Amino acid sequence: MTTQTVLDVRGLVVRRDDLKAVRNVDFQIRAGQRVGLVGESGAGKSLTALAVMGLLQPGWTTEGQVLHDNVDLTTISDREFSNRRGRTVSMVFQDPLSALNPTKRVGAQVSWVIRRHTKVTRDEARARVLDLFKQMHLPRPEQLLRAYPHELSGGQRQRVMIAMAIACYPQLIIADEPTTALDVTVQKQVLRLLDGAVKDRGSALLMITHDLPVIAAMCDYVMVMYGGRLVEQGPVGEVFRSPRHPYTKGLLESQPTLDNIELEGTTRLPSIRGSVPPLHAMPTGCPFRTRCDRATAQCEIVPELEGDTSQAACWHPLDAHSPVVGA
Amino acid sequence: MSSAAEGAMTSHELASGGGPVPTGGVGRRVLGNASLVVGVVMTVALVAVAALSLVWTPADPNLAAPADRLLPAGSHGHLLGTDALGRDIASALMVGARTSITVAAGAALLGVVLGTISGLTAAAARPVVSESIMRGVDILLAMPGIVFALVLAATVGAGVGSTIFALTVFFVPSFTRVVRAAALRVLAEDYVTAAELYGRRKVFILARHVLPNIFSVLIVQFTLYFAAGILTEAGLSYLGVGVNRPAVSWGMLLKEAQDTVGVSGPLAIWPGLAIVFAVLGLNMLGDGLRDVLDPRLRKRSS
Repeated sequence: MTTQTVLDVRGLVVRRDDLKAVRNVDFQIRAGQRVGLVGESGAGKSLTALAVMGLLQPGWTTEGQVLHDNVDLTTISDREFSNRRGRTVSMVFQDPLSALNPTKRVGAQVSWVIRRHTKVTRDEARARVLDLFKQMHLPRPEQLLRAYPHELSGGQRQRVMIAMAIACYPQLIIADEPTTALDVTVQKQVLRLLDGAVKDRGSALLMITHDLPVIAAMCDYVMVMYGGRLVEQGPVGEVFRSPRHPYTKGLLESQPTLDNIELEGTTRLPSIRGSVPPLHAMPTGCPFRTRCDRATAQCEIVPELEGDTSQAACWHPLDAHSPVVGA
Repeated sequence: MSSAAEGAMTSHELASGGGPVPTGGVGRRVLGNASLVVGVVMTVALVAVAALSLVWTPADPNLAAPADRLLPAGSHGHLLGTDALGRDIASALMVGARTSITVAAGAALLGVVLGTISGLTAAAARPVVSESIMRGVDILLAMPGIVFALVLAATVGAGVGSTIFALTVFFVPSFTRVVRAAALRVLAEDYVTAAELYGRRKVFILARHVLPNIFSVLIVQFTLYFAAGILTEAGLSYLGVGVNRPAVSWGMLLKEAQDTVGVSGPLAIWPGLAIVFAVLGLNMLGDGLRDVLDPRLRKRSS
């Protein structure tokens, strides 16, 4: 715990008028730590990331504090924020095709990022981009500098995005579902490159995904989000081996593996009953209680995160050693 | 893959000649588009005639020769005949092409430039600024362009300059709307968010990210408004508030022909044909460019 904290989020609320999409979220990320943020669509994962980056669409407002470098990012001016973003914090987007300008060469786009934050000449920036492309194992990097986004494959585009994200040695990289838009075969390669890049630079990583194996492979700490709240958090091994929140367990069991599919039979994949309620219909108290088998009257009060190394926000947590079916 | 095949199908159906299905390459897409090819040929012909009139015309279009008045087409020295004062019609049409191009292209160009500036500002600025611009646009669009030009001609005086000004005022609001809509679509893209993320300012984002991505829209709109400009200029000159002698314009020729249309029908037909030729050529060019440059736009409009 002696290492420096790069991101300290305290009581973060993201709301649109009366609808709270993120409700009172606290977490810290330390230098070099890799944190995974999982949850279903609509759990508030991406909004949390965008709120941290100050990139929310107009109409959304935030409450709480986002401390980075001992500065509260929610209070500084746009100008000051602009100078930090991309230099000390950066982001890898979900869809690399729409995250690159189709009318500009990829080399130029990466070089813009470098020249925005460091005083280097055009040629020095170009050399750095070439270097980054080589690190990303992009084929024929010299020619690729002059390529347009549509001439690249999905995996290559995402590697360009990662090159852009790591270009200025940020302290924290936020990756918002970086492999969702990619083929399974390419995913692994991209993740390995991201992993190496983060390791080399000693950056911290906040990985947002609904893909649990990705978290298992990439992260050392995991936070499970549901209905805008963190419902469970802890070291990856502990949480995945013995989840204490019923939602985490359900999520793990819904993950198809070769074990829980009978190849010749027609067994149904286990799933969590119901679906994520829309924001305006989110139940009071524990957000998961309407879909939870263990819910009681007590669940109408919001549970706090409790536990030692791993914590769950549940009044009726699962036994630490209850086995996960199929995981 | 399937969407590319779909696009090829559509452009194939559009091409009236029914030539080979265009498959990708820009060259083949251009040549496979009948509208674009015909439009380019007609527009180039128009510009060539206008350019030629700078150095050579069969006769002085303002030189009256009462002895030769109302000659039919094909008369010696007068390819398309002469008007009521014996002035050469072919020469007048050539000089008129120059006037039409100057006025329409000038107004369309000014309209594009000013409309782009105000449209981008409206797309990116704070709501107060953006709303002010768009409500101003609504007010300008609520005024009929012809009425505005009439008032302008009455106060400033008719002529090439004030016609361009009137048309520009008429064009800028529509351009602003088109540019703003296109820019908003680009501003919602992830790469704009990424640029903001990497600390870029609005002006940089507009210049480097938005403008190149709406450029095809600008080109297409320019050609279509070029055509609209020729038509409106002809209308204004016909009403007598556009161009007057010694300058020559097609609309003015129509007005002059009106007095003698009972005696010599073709006198009114020639400038009319010239207007149809120019406007048709530019519209086909614009439609063809839109098909080639912005397939998404075509899908929506058809």
